[in-house]
Order: sequence, then structure tokens, then C-alpha cells
Amino acid sequence: MKKITIALVGQPNVGKSHLANAISGSNLKIGNFAGVTVEKATAKLRTDDYAIEFIDLPGLYSLEDFSADEKVTKEFLKKGDYDLIVNVLDSTNLERNLMLTTELLELNKKIVLALNMDDEAVKEGININAQNMSKILSVPCIRVSSKTKYNIETLVDTIIDVHEKALIPSKLIYGSEVEDQLQTIARFLEEKHFTIEGLSYRQIAVGLLWQKREIYAIVHEHPLYVELQPILNNALGHVYMYCQCDEIDEVIHRQHAAFAKGLCTEVLSVSKIKAQSVTQKIDAVLIHKFLGLPIFVFLMWALFQLTFTLGQFPMDWIESGFGWLGETLGETIDNEALKSLIVDGIIAGVGSVLMFLPNIIILFLGIALLETTGYMSRAAFLLDGFFHKFGLHGKSFVPLVTGFGCSVPAYMAARTLKNKKDRLLTMFIIGFMSCGARLPVYVLFAGAFFDESIAGNVLFAIYIFGAILGLIAAKILRVTAFKGEDEPFVMEMPKYRLPSLKLLWFMVYSKSVLYLKKAGTFILLASMLIWFISSYPKNDVIEEEYGAKIEALQATQETQATDKEALTAQKDDTAQAQETAPSDDKVASAEADKEAPVADPKESAEEGTSVEDQIAALENEKHEKIMEQTYLGMAGKAVEPFFAPLGFDWKMGVATLSGLAAKEVIVSTLGVLYALGDEVSEDDASLRDIIKENISFASAMAFIVFVMVYLPCLAATAVFYKEAESLKHTVLLVLFTFATAWVLAFITYRVLLLFA
Amino acid sequence: MVDLSQIDKNQKAFIKTIHAQHSLKKRLQSLGLSAGQEVQVVETSLQKNTIKIALGFSSVALRLDEAKTVEVELAS
Repeated sequence: MKKITIALVGQPNVGKSHLANAISGSNLKIGNFAGVTVEKATAKLRTDDYAIEFIDLPGLYSLEDFSADEKVTKEFLKKGDYDLIVNVLDSTNLERNLMLTTELLELNKKIVLALNMDDEAVKEGININAQNMSKILSVPCIRVSSKTKYNIETLVDTIIDVHEKALIPSKLIYGSEVEDQLQTIARFLEEKHFTIEGLSYRQIAVGLLWQKREIYAIVHEHPLYVELQPILNNALGHVYMYCQCDEIDEVIHRQHAAFAKGLCTEVLSVSKIKAQSVTQKIDAVLIHKFLGLPIFVFLMWALFQLTFTLGQFPMDWIESGFGWLGETLGETIDNEALKSLIVDGIIAGVGSVLMFLPNIIILFLGIALLETTGYMSRAAFLLDGFFHKFGLHGKSFVPLVTGFGCSVPAYMAARTLKNKKDRLLTMFIIGFMSCGARLPVYVLFAGAFFDESIAGNVLFAIYIFGAILGLIAAKILRVTAFKGEDEPFVMEMPKYRLPSLKLLWFMVYSKSVLYLKKAGTFILLASMLIWFISSYPKNDVIEEEYGAKIEALQATQETQATDKEALTAQKDDTAQAQETAPSDDKVASAEADKEAPVADPKESAEEGTSVEDQIAALENEKHEKIMEQTYLGMAGKAVEPFFAPLGFDWKMGVATLSGLAAKEVIVSTLGVLYALGDEVSEDDASLRDIIKENISFASAMAFIVFVMVYLPCLAATAVFYKEAESLKHTVLLVLFTFATAWVLAFITYRVLLLFA
Repeated sequence: MVDLSQIDKNQKAFIKTIHAQHSLKKRLQSLGLSAGQEVQVVETSLQKNTIKIALGFSSVALRLDEAKTVEVELAS
């Protein structure tokens, strides 16, 4: 089986991913680019003789290093390991798409042009003569449609065909004056037998005339350069005069534009002209002066409402499912420690995270819809004026919204920003956009402290509040740490398109699988670790001490309840047993209760309950004390002074710290801690109720604020470091987020205490 | 000199020259703004900070600051 690696290149919004998806079926995979961290989607396809791999590169308008994103594609095209380029073009916007094609043709690689969105073009009355185009360019051009799967097989066959044959140089022709000069240079090179491996004389000549650095680097080393220089100077002079322009980039652009235009007049025919396209009509409403922003806010609000309300049903099922699982499994395990590990550690921890999968799916679906329909750039348009006031850029919107999903891809999405300072500023703010992993924390607390009917609004308010904080932080950073010039705002407004269900499914599915994988591996381990350090070391002294106290209470209960000799003897037996197995306490006291009424029903019933209460209180105290003696308790105690001014108990402090590993771990930690601490786990009390009982409103709100602002997880911080390429800024990020989180949580707590 | 920021909504014009600095100019060109191209302002944001222009088969959003660098000639 031979392998073909294909670089899928095209301008943004031409349907590259969709095409890869259409070719490969459901085999599209998103992974990290080796070496550089950009998401690379690979699609694999097996034909009879070949395994074909598509690398879906980030879209770019031209081979200029305008943004970091485009640089990645350019670098890959120049240095990457691939066999041929498939250039995807939008048939409905051929001339502009051809501008990139002309640059790709100059790369001198095997190339196939896929004229995508043929169905749309036909509908709009645009007809492209692909055969003629193939002849003119001497590069195969195929009309395809990823939507209707038209000609997909032909495309694959052509790819294999081109791969098998030797490279045929494309016929990219420039203006006659330029061609004349190219010939002069090429002739000189040929006479002197000057060669560069893999390039023809003409290609070297083009490289020289277009002043490509990489060609100059080679030629400049050569003694021939002395003779070459006057010829080049002369040629350039002619070209400048002919073009009436003395900037080589401008000359190149005009040559390319002329070629694209010429090609279009040869192969493109438009049979009907629409007065106003559907996109313009939709835009008239969606980016309307007055209506645009309210519509945008409404759509965002609706998304968070749906996330909460729709996600609620499956969430309840999953929660009760795990409750049931824990109970049933717990009954079958005899070993106490193992039972605790599985029920209180693994099931409570992983279950509390898995519970939020439905919410995550809905949120990711919303973001995927924003991306695929074309609304994302409208939102950037609407928000640019507003963002600009805070020193941000309209384009910052894209990474910021991605940040609602996960900070890691959001940091990467910030690459679309050209200016380094704008990029860093946006990256600093991304943390304020609460990521999907924080959603479980919010859902848990919003559900615990607010009525179900307004919980969705609370959720929306939390996100909005975070975003507003982000904007304020942006302004502060802009006038302090990131002073500098504004990046220009220029952005294509793509056509509105109905996203393909398959692509949507793929986007949501791959993100959900990632979430599940995280729950199955990372969070599982974290839960086990938290369980362990919150269960060990076991402290016998406390157990005994409390065992004795409880015993003493029971003894008084017994003397009050009855004078029967036989019963006292029985109690003594039980008391002895209690020392070895303190967990029998309850059973014993229950027995005592049952038998008490026999002697004096009225009095003992009263006394019995109060003593029972005391025993229960002692039990809880015992668990508290034991927990405090564990490794986790010690760590909690150590950080308690730091969190105490915010109204956090040590459990919340520990949960906050564990959240540094991943934000979902906050919930699983709380789940484990409170499941262990509470004997009433059989009582059907959900984590939500436990939290409501144990945490005050003010502390809970301070907790939400803290979680909202403090450092995104370690993985995200690592990506931040990679993207920012600056240790200084990474340290700044850590300090900045912690300090802000602490101060804001402190204010929240103190203000709420005043009102309470 | 008339630039893109000065023309009215729905008024058609032709691009004459782009005066932007190098990389912005390249970007504008690769988005389809080149000399001779017909353009039209189709939407403006609330405070007219940002405008949407239509050209050929595509549309582009830009800030007023960037629009000022594009010299145009009104279509008669």
C-alpha cells in the first residue's frame, strides 16, 4: 500500500473541511500539527492501491505572512512533507480565489484544482469551463461539490493520476514584457549552466525577478552573481517602466490579477445576474444598524438558556444513573477501602463530570453553528466598534467565543490576529471567557442556590459578567502592559451557508469524545488521587476518641432508658465490638432505641432522639476531624488562610487548587470530598443539596467569581506559553489572573455579607 | 480626493488607488480590492465605525480608518 499525503489549501470559507469530510466519509480526525501547535485535520481514505491522507491546512488569502495562522500554512507548503497540493476554490468567487492559485502555481509542486461549490454556482447561473481551464493552466481542474458529492470520485482518481505521473510545469503566463525579461534571464542562466535543484531556468528567473529571498540566498553565494546583477537590474528597470510602478510587490500583484482576470474571461460565463443575493438580504437584518446588536445578544442568551434547560433532562438521568450504579456496585463489594475507592472516589468523581456532557454538547453545537453559518464574522463586525473602545479587535471575537468552549483552541484561534500585542492582549482575556470545563461548576452552583426557573438566566449572567470583566481587564492592560498601535480591521464577510449536518456532527462529536476521554483518563486518575489523599493517612486516635465519646453517650442513654440487667450486658458486648468496628455505632444505637420504649415510652422517646442527635453530630465531627488529618486536609489547612477572607472553607480551597489540573476536577473534588464527609450518601441527597446545606450564599458567589477569573487549567497555560513564546507573559498571566480572582472574590464575599 | 469612508450607502464607486502601508495593502488586494474594481457600501454599524462593502462576488468589512486609505472615483 503506497501512501499519498495531500495538502488541502484554499482561501477561508471555501469548504475545505467539508470537502475533506465528503471525500473521506467520517474518517476526519483533528489532531495536533507535528512541531507547531495548530489543529490539523487529517482525513484518511483507502483506494485499491493507495492510502490517501489529507491535511486540512488553515485557510489563507495569499502566501503573505499577514497573520500567524497563515504563516503556518505557508511554512508547511514550503517545507512540509507532502506529495501534492489540492487547491480548493469557491466557484462562486472564482477570480479572487484564483489570486491564491497563481501564487501556489509558482511553488512548482504537483497540484490539482478543486472547483468547489459547483451546485451553488450552477444555481447562481455561473458556469465554469473546467476542461478549457485545465488546458490553459495545464493543471487538472475539476468541478466538485462537497454538498452533493458531485465528482468526488473523479477528484480522487485525478489525484492518484497526477501523483503517478511526473510533474508537469503549470503554464502561468505573465504580461509579454515580463515574459521577455524572464526569457532573457533564463537564457543567461542556461548559457552559464547555473542550476538549482528541482527548479527550471524559468523558475529561477521568476524567483529572481520577483525578488524572492530564498532564491537570492542561493544565487548571491555564487560568483556568477556579479555577471547576473546588471542583467537583473536592466530587466527590473524594463518591468518597472512597463508597469509604471516601482514596487515589485505591486508589479507581482498586477501580473497575478491580470492573469486571474484573463483566465476568468476565458472560462467563466454568467448567465443570469441576481439583483440582490440572499446573503445581502439576511445581512440587511442581522447586521442592521439598530437591530443587529439586540439580535446578537438574544442569540447568545438563547444559547445559554438552551444549554441549561435542554441539558437538564439528560443530566438528571445521568446523575440518578450514577447514583444507582454506585449503590448497586457498593453492595457487591465487601472490602471497605475498595468499596470507598470505587463508590466515593471513582463513581462520585467521574460521574459528577460526566453529568455535564449534555450541557457541553449543546454549547459546542452552538459554537459550531456560529462558525459554520458565517455568523461569526457578522458578530465580529457588530462588536468591532465596541471592542475597539476597550483596545480589542473585532476579530478577537472569534478566539473569545472559542474560549467559551475551551481555552486551548482559543489561544490558537488568536493567531488570526496579526499584531503581536493585539494577539497577546486577546490571549490574556480569553481566560475571562468561561470555558466549557467551568460550566459544570456554574451549573452546580446555579442549580443549588437559584430556583430552576431562573438558573438559565443566572448562567447567562455569569458568562456575561465574565465577559464584561474581560473587557475591563483588556482596557486596563491596553493602557498599561500592551500599549501600541491598533491592528487594522479588514475581514471578509462570507456568504451565509446552511452547514452540513455531517460536518456539524463531526465537530460536536470530536469535541465530545475529547471530553469523555478526559473524564475516562485524566479525571478518573484525579478522582482516585483526590480520594486517596482525602482518605489517608487513617487516624486511629481520633476514631477511638470519638468511639469512646459515642459509647459514653450510649451508656447514659441506656441507663436512662432501662435498668434491665440483661440489656446492659448486651450493650457492653456491643460497646466492646464498637472499639474494633466503630461503624457499628449506628446499628447499636438504633437497637437501643428500639428497645427503649419498652420501659418508659414517653420519656425515653424524647431523650432518645436528643441523644441520637448528639451521636449524629459527633459522627459528623468525627468525619470532619478524620478528613482534616488526611493529606488533603493538611494541604487544605495550609491554604485555608489564603482563602479564608473569601469565605471558602478548606474543602473549597482544595477544590480550587485541584481545578488547576482541569476545571472539571473542581466538581469531582467537591463530589468526592462531600461524598466522603457525609454518612448520608444512601439518603439520596444529590451533590447539589449537600452543597446548598454546607456552603453559604456569599461564599458560593465568591467561589463562582474566583473560578470565573483564575488561571485556566495547566494544559491551557502550557499552550499559552507556546503561543506567546514568552515566559515573562506567561508568568504575568498567572499572577494577573490569581490576583484579580482573589480581589474580585473578596469584594463579592464582603459585599454579599453586608446585604445578608 | 474621495475615499471609501466618504461615499454614501448604496452609492457605486470604482477603486482608484490604495494608499495603505505595505501589509495592509496586500491584505486589501488579496480580499479583492484592486484598482478598477467596482465597490459599494452596503451596511454601516451604529456609530459608522465599521462598514461593509460589496465588491464583485464577495463582501468585506473594514473600519473607517482603513476605508480612508482607499481612494475611489464615484460612478456616474
